[in-house]
Amino acid sequence: MNWEYELVAGPYGSPTDGPVWDGEALLFTSLPLPANTINNRILRYDPQTGAVTDFRKWTNRVVGLAFSADGILYGCQSGARRVVRFNRDGSTSPLAYRVDGKFHNQPKDLAVDQQGRIWFTDPVWGPPVQGGLRNHELEPYSIDYRAALRMETPNKDAPLRRMTYDTVAPLALALSPEEDVLYVAESSEEPAGKRELRAYPINSDGSLGDYALLHAFGADYRGAHRGISGMCLDTAGNIVAAAGSERSGPGPMIYVFSPTGQVLETQPVPAEPTNCAFGGLNLDDLYVTTTEGHLYRVANTDRQGHALPSAAGPAAGE
Amino acid sequence: MSTEKFSPGFSRIVKENAVLEKISGGHIFTEGPVWNGQENFLVWTDIIDDTIWKWIPGQGTSIIMRPSGKADGMTYDHQGRLLVAGWSSRTVWRWEHDGSTTVLASHVDGKKLNTPNDIVMKSDGVVYFTDPSNGIRNVGMECDDVQKYVDYEAVYRLDLADASLTLLVDDFINPNGLCFSPDESLLYINDTPRRHIRVFDVLPDGTIDAANGRLFAELFHDDHGSPDGMKVDVEGNVYCTGPGGVWVIDPQGNPLGRLLVPEDCANFGFGDPDYRTMYFTARTSVYRMRLEIAGLPTYPIP
Repeated sequence: MNWEYELVAGPYGSPTDGPVWDGEALLFTSLPLPANTINNRILRYDPQTGAVTDFRKWTNRVVGLAFSADGILYGCQSGARRVVRFNRDGSTSPLAYRVDGKFHNQPKDLAVDQQGRIWFTDPVWGPPVQGGLRNHELEPYSIDYRAALRMETPNKDAPLRRMTYDTVAPLALALSPEEDVLYVAESSEEPAGKRELRAYPINSDGSLGDYALLHAFGADYRGAHRGISGMCLDTAGNIVAAAGSERSGPGPMIYVFSPTGQVLETQPVPAEPTNCAFGGLNLDDLYVTTTEGHLYRVANTDRQGHALPSAAGPAAGE
Repeated sequence: MSTEKFSPGFSRIVKENAVLEKISGGHIFTEGPVWNGQENFLVWTDIIDDTIWKWIPGQGTSIIMRPSGKADGMTYDHQGRLLVAGWSSRTVWRWEHDGSTTVLASHVDGKKLNTPNDIVMKSDGVVYFTDPSNGIRNVGMECDDVQKYVDYEAVYRLDLADASLTLLVDDFINPNGLCFSPDESLLYINDTPRRHIRVFDVLPDGTIDAANGRLFAELFHDDHGSPDGMKVDVEGNVYCTGPGGVWVIDPQGNPLGRLLVPEDCANFGFGDPDYRTMYFTARTSVYRMRLEIAGLPTYPIP
């Protein structure tokens, strides 16, 4: 069955990302260009009315979004290299941003587990950080690796723990429904780099075991195939992943992988997809964001999303 | 070579062979240098290290406040108390002689300020400060609340007599350094991303003629650096951080030359008893250089 992509918002001419269903509407992030544009926003698409409204302004290049089990929204504020909490009173709290005393990189994607721990990818990603110390000046104060990290509690003084030791471009992550596997997309943009979907078992002590390679993206005469930049799960635990581009390979695509890595489905997307998330009251609509700033909805995936936490109550975040 | 002459007039500002001397190192992001003319010492901030430092000539450095709310620009009032552009505290505050601090401004129209960046006091005791929002955005400079609330990046006049806050101008992308001409008839304000300095007439009520701002100078150069800290000397020459160090600009807006600093210089201040030494806060270090002309003293005038 070919998926039908309905354009429900945008295109905004610059990337959209971070789709997350809040229980009634879809939140997503808008990242204007150039990168020093301060009017970054979280937008809210209400499928009941079709309206797109500002949920938060001046978000400083927040990319990935996720709710915790208690309905609080968290975001990866790549512009300031930290994870933030969007409080219901409209304020925004920065959370711990140092690992062993050093600044981490640029959070891109995150998931909050049932214990309230925040798992996030921490690549060097996108345009250089603007303002204050320049990137090379920050180096002495910064970690020298690119990993998936975990914040043990969602606050400013929380310990941050390095979770992966074999990643250089971890862009996207997702937890399995049982929270016993961490899926990580290693998505290097370097021709010689790796573009892989990996499954790391989560050990009983909270550490990660050796990963299983579920899928490796290839290369062709035009170049390396763009790896996964965002993903979500369906109720069967299958991984629905945004990858590919017009530049090489099979093109902009949503892949559906089984938990063992079998490709169950490939669905071409009308534009380069950045991320995807299930939404709708039955979690059976797939929302897709793109590099050009579209928000697409696919109503006929014949899949239902694995239920992630959403906002607890209609006024969440405002 | 620590100086670069653009115009013959620069020879009156600094000797060609003037030496740049490092007086303190090991910092992260130094800012806000101000000379205490009563007791002859220098204070400055380190934003990211969350500290206010004091340096006594011949004795060295000591920490006088940590944490400092990631304070930024500073000046003295008539009583010798530090007035602080609080940056990450999102306030303007005063450090009292008893060691306590008093918040002088925190909100405008009921909304939290952005991140007060630099501050200057007019001779009548009224405070002027810039309030860009990049303190919310910069790495390592976080506030307790990193949400921006006001729609603009403004410059304010704060009358401490009645705590009234008046918005002076709001069409800057990132208002940063500010200073008065020696006779206080002009207010200079720079805009970092536009790399320019604008000048405004100060009106009798202490506000400025915002509609009549003029472009005073533009600081474009291949070297790295942008308008940030800004001060004037006794003859009205304007000193402004820019590419490569501190630019010296005559009152007509003509660049005379540069004082070259090997690290990105965010701010500087005139000091020593004769106010003929410039102290530069440049990332990890504080430097100084002797000049041939005195800067306008910060209060209290000794």
